[in-house]
Amino acid sequence: MLEIKNLVAGYGKVKVLHAISISVPKGQLVTLIGSNGAGKTTTLRAISGMIAPEAGEITLNGENITGKSSHDITRLGLAHSPEGRRVFGTLSVTDNLLLGAFPRLTGKRPKGDVEADVQKMFDLFPRLRERREQLAGTLSGGEQQMLAMGRALMLQPEVLLLDEPSMGLAPKLVEEVFSIIRRLKEAKTTMLLVEQFAAAALEVADFGYVLENGKLAGSGPADKLKNDPAVRAAYLGHGS
Amino acid sequence: MQNFFQILVSGISVGMIYGVIAFGYQLTFSTSKTLNFGQGEALTLGALVGLTAVNFLIGVSLGNLWAYLIALPVVFAFGMLQGTVVEWLGVRQAIRTKSEAGWIMATIALGIIFKNMAEHIWGKDPIKFPSPVSENPLTIFGVNVRLMEIIIVLGALAMMLGVELFNRRSIYGKAVVATANDRDAAGLMGINTSQVITFSYGLSSLSAALAGVLIAPITLTGANMGAALGLKAFAVAIIGGLSSGLGVVVGGLILGITESLTGFYFDTGYKDVPGLILLLLVLSFKPAGLFGKTAIKKV
Ligand SMILES: Nc1ncnc2c1ncn2[C@@H]1O[C@H](COP(=O)(O)OP(=O)(O)OP(=O)(O)O)[C@@H](O)[C@H]1O
Ligand SMILES: [Mg+2]
Repeated sequence: MLEIKNLVAGYGKVKVLHAISISVPKGQLVTLIGSNGAGKTTTLRAISGMIAPEAGEITLNGENITGKSSHDITRLGLAHSPEGRRVFGTLSVTDNLLLGAFPRLTGKRPKGDVEADVQKMFDLFPRLRERREQLAGTLSGGEQQMLAMGRALMLQPEVLLLDEPSMGLAPKLVEEVFSIIRRLKEAKTTMLLVEQFAAAALEVADFGYVLENGKLAGSGPADKLKNDPAVRAAYLGHGS
Repeated sequence: MQNFFQILVSGISVGMIYGVIAFGYQLTFSTSKTLNFGQGEALTLGALVGLTAVNFLIGVSLGNLWAYLIALPVVFAFGMLQGTVVEWLGVRQAIRTKSEAGWIMATIALGIIFKNMAEHIWGKDPIKFPSPVSENPLTIFGVNVRLMEIIIVLGALAMMLGVELFNRRSIYGKAVVATANDRDAAGLMGINTSQVITFSYGLSSLSAALAGVLIAPITLTGANMGAALGLKAFAVAIIGGLSSGLGVVVGGLILGITESLTGFYFDTGYKDVPGLILLLLVLSFKPAGLFGKTAIKKV
């Protein structure tokens, strides 16, 4: 499980997060919602070591990972599918997936059957199977998004961070992404999900946190938050 | 016509040397957007270490060819180590602090230090490097070709092919390509990207050291042998594109051949001119290099 206590982080002199605490219990799907610029991506970046936290404590399965470099954190079993996809454009789809399993292929994590897992990703995202030899940079935005998710799953992570997996996708693909998230949840994957579609995120999640200007403005079981009038007004629009 | 082909042959071998050194520039530029301006000195040191190793092995009554072959791994190991030292002392800090130009000064300074060390250890006078193969030229269709010139071409191609295969086939090579693509994302894959950058510096110096022991038998070895070569190879890297693998071979050949043609048909004193004109033209019309691709980016 993942435990964040009083996390303070930002970029240089600019502080973005002001002492936020989040807990992601084993096997649960927790979502972090909030408006643009609230600090959701910054939170995920601080957890996975892309930026160094200024204060606070982050533990992964009881081990303190605060301030560790991102490769060490990944080797401890935390996968992060970052905002903006960030696939390796000059490498093939298959190579991108293999790199997701880098710690497994280099003896830093239990190896298991990497080849079989590549096939599993192709079962999960059939579109990728057809394009397995294609360079990732030439995939469509939606295909790149699926590749980014598949690549993160190739770690066989203990905790998975997903930053806006539906960003820029057509409505039909958004549904597909959410059905995959639901499947991962059924498989008891521990996940922290950041989503622009707050209603859909609260629909699948077990628990939710609301971030506002770098501070937690609320938290609770997802079905409670979904019906909270303040949350509804601010993030869920009127219809939902 | 005979003359023309004769000149072509020497242009090709020098061009391949430029190509290998320029390939070394590409290796570090792709992973870290920095390069070693002491690349010429890495070549010098590689050649001189090779010279000492070869002479030692000949001293224990090995034949020239065996001495050369056994010295090669020593030279490679030394190149790896030398590049690692350059990265540790000159580049690492600049990358960490996102310094724009710190690494430029630092790698130039380290190059000067290495050159002074070479002068101190091996003296200032050029020394003959024992040729691993017969120095009598073969005559092919009336053109004289030295065996060493053929070895230069094959050695240079083997080096680049080897790295290309490593990058495509092994998971560690793919990790290098991933780091070149997107360093932060590579870190998220569990790749230690600082180690990858150190490794690319090692490999870069190894290429220069290889270039050194390839060219040494047909020129002379000495503390000053690398400076001009390093600079011209930098021009080749710009002409061929700092990001295009094939470009440096073509760029190297273009420069090597125009140099020897100008030297022969015009005036040896002007042999550096066409290459520099070409460099200026490329910089003004195709700044990414003749073969440089604009990166594939999707939004
Ligand atoms: N690399 C950066 N350097 C400086 N400031 C940054 C950087 N990245 C983000 N910020 C700032 O940090 C704040 C929080 O940004 P963040 O990306 O965490 O927001 P977010 O909640 O993910 O927003 P969105 O929903 O738009 O993705 C913003 O004010 C942003 O301008
Ligand atoms: Mg964001």
